Amino acid sequence: MRKITFLVLSLTLLAAGTLFANGQQDKEKEIVLKWPSIWVGEDSKAGAVAELVDQFNADNAGKIRVEVEAQPDYDGYEQKIRTSIAAGIVPDIFTMKLNPTTKAYYESPLLMDFSKELNGGWGKDFNAGTVAQATVDGMVKSLPYEVAITPVWYNMDLFKKAGVSKYPQTYAEFLDAAAKLKAAGFIPTSQMTGGSNAWTSMLWYSHFLASFGGPDVYANPFGTDAYVKAAEVLLAMYSDGNTSIDAIGGDAGVSGGHYLAGESAMFINGPWYIGRVKSEAPAVYSATEVGPAPAAGNNKGAMVGFLQTNFAAAANADDPEKAAAAVKFIKWMTKSENVAKISAASGAMFAVKYDSSSITDELMGKFINASNDASFTIPHLEGVVTSDVITEFGQALGKMALGEATPEEFVEMLKKVQDQ
Amino acid sequence: MKKNKNIKMILLFLVPVAFLYISFFIYPLAFVLGTSLTEWNGISAMKFIGLGNYKKLLTDGTFLLSIKNNIIWALSGGFIQIPLATMVALILARKPRGWKTLRTIYFLPNIISAVAIAMMWKAIYNPMYGFLNAFLNLFGIEGHNWLGETATALPAVIAQTVLYIGYFMVIIFAATTTIPKSFYEAAEIDGCTTLQQEWYITLPMIRGILVTTITLAMAYGMRHFEATFLMTSGGPAHSTSVMGLVLYNKMDAFRLGEANATGTILILLGTVVIVLIRKLLSRGDAGSDSVQ
Repeated sequence: MRKITFLVLSLTLLAAGTLFANGQQDKEKEIVLKWPSIWVGEDSKAGAVAELVDQFNADNAGKIRVEVEAQPDYDGYEQKIRTSIAAGIVPDIFTMKLNPTTKAYYESPLLMDFSKELNGGWGKDFNAGTVAQATVDGMVKSLPYEVAITPVWYNMDLFKKAGVSKYPQTYAEFLDAAAKLKAAGFIPTSQMTGGSNAWTSMLWYSHFLASFGGPDVYANPFGTDAYVKAAEVLLAMYSDGNTSIDAIGGDAGVSGGHYLAGESAMFINGPWYIGRVKSEAPAVYSATEVGPAPAAGNNKGAMVGFLQTNFAAAANADDPEKAAAAVKFIKWMTKSENVAKISAASGAMFAVKYDSSSITDELMGKFINASNDASFTIPHLEGVVTSDVITEFGQALGKMALGEATPEEFVEMLKKVQDQ
Repeated sequence: MKKNKNIKMILLFLVPVAFLYISFFIYPLAFVLGTSLTEWNGISAMKFIGLGNYKKLLTDGTFLLSIKNNIIWALSGGFIQIPLATMVALILARKPRGWKTLRTIYFLPNIISAVAIAMMWKAIYNPMYGFLNAFLNLFGIEGHNWLGETATALPAVIAQTVLYIGYFMVIIFAATTTIPKSFYEAAEIDGCTTLQQEWYITLPMIRGILVTTITLAMAYGMRHFEATFLMTSGGPAHSTSVMGLVLYNKMDAFRLGEANATGTILILLGTVVIVLIRKLLSRGDAGSDSVQ
């Protein structure tokens, strides 16, 4: 009896041990990729992205698993990425905005360079010029993904109520329309000097820079004529009741809030704002048209557009399998049909070539038309200067709007920070 | 032998704390001091530039304005917030009807997130829809863009912090309860008014606590960041900028050497202001340190 008990126990232990060992082996095989993602929670891309991650995990079960770490706060997310890279710990996969400040990431050997994979054929999947925009010193350490244009949104209902039959194409027409809008009790434009980058006003300024300086405006030194003239127009936007009285010191909530409430007639933001207008202000959504800013300079029909989000990954030089797994996942996310799914669900625009006919949102269609109709496109100012210049932008704008600085002094303040 | 054993025990108990203190305070402090002498973006190699960052900061008008604003914050904390807290604590110590409820009400803001309070005040100050302008308009007083005008922005941000006196009020109130009642009874027999009792008995008896609370309030003022960051981002035209915000912006721009120089100046100035104020307030009061 004892012998039988011993035998049964031995067999049980052996079986359990074998099962455990197999389990361990499977686990060892599986590569886990951590992805701190902003496309979670209330984000318009959250649902579609989650579906794609689930599908990827199912297709690669036991081999690769992508774990999404929810980071719904944009500023917090950027801080986390910066701190991680500075500390030498790079997330397996992450997204970033590419600008002169984040170009410092390219100095880190910890980030993966995608140029080899892109040259191997993958590069053809991207829209012309987008990979070049993300190339620094021959390296592509941030893969272009989401793109955006930021046209002027205008509420045609308010224009009609004020007796303005069409959206102003020139600065003179703008002043005329603004006068009629004010007389009818509406705020002509939404502006803001607050927040970390005075976002809406920074975009207005970028449009005027394009209008005065043309497609190569940023090639000219900071402080040249176009910068001052654009500042003069921006100052006019803050004068004579052309914006709300809370614009100085106001943040994105103030600027967007007036447009959503049907109080202001013109506002600037990207396509990610469409969902919010649609759900929170359906009447404003229906009345909204988009287009370039009224031409204040010689260049008409210019648009402000940029790489909104880039994919990046840890180099994982000592773990080529993990590096390959990251590339496989990013390739999955940049597949034409997958990008089309996210675009259709969220209205977002992408740097990858895809069929956008599935986009049914009316306002998104207007965005695409505005992008196609643009005479040329330039990035916004934030995309071409370091973050301290943009921090200064809001402060200098406040000073100018309060009458404490001239347009020349406004530009000089920005130049001083840039020269540092 | 017993003495030796005690020393070993003392060392044994001190080691964990000393380890934590060295790891999480002394080492980071030394790192901040060291890197403040470099040009460094946190990713590429550091470049030693001596006092270059300090020179740059101390000739930058915005940074000098930030130092001035921090000192205004510190003085407002020490000489507006604490007197207000003392006044309320002395009134509540007399235990008027409903004093317990009032004590709770005054303390409540301290358990609410600073972010929520800042957002609430931002709404109160809004020039178009805010409560403050609507209230002033009732009396025919014209409103302001409180956070959007250089003259009013700093006082507006300070006011929304300084008005919350509950934390210090509770400390001062607790101190008043340690004063023997017999002192007041004797003073009453001698014909002292309530004001005289507070002035000649309460305030001298709680002097040590007052020095401590003033020091604390001023220290909070010197390191202030949150409300300014949330309400004005230092604007308009840098009028509300503080050293903490300058440090944050430098870090955000990957200017870590300059950020650490800002941090070092912040620590040094904070220490100087606190030591000076303690010396000044403790003058002629040999026992004040022991009371605290």
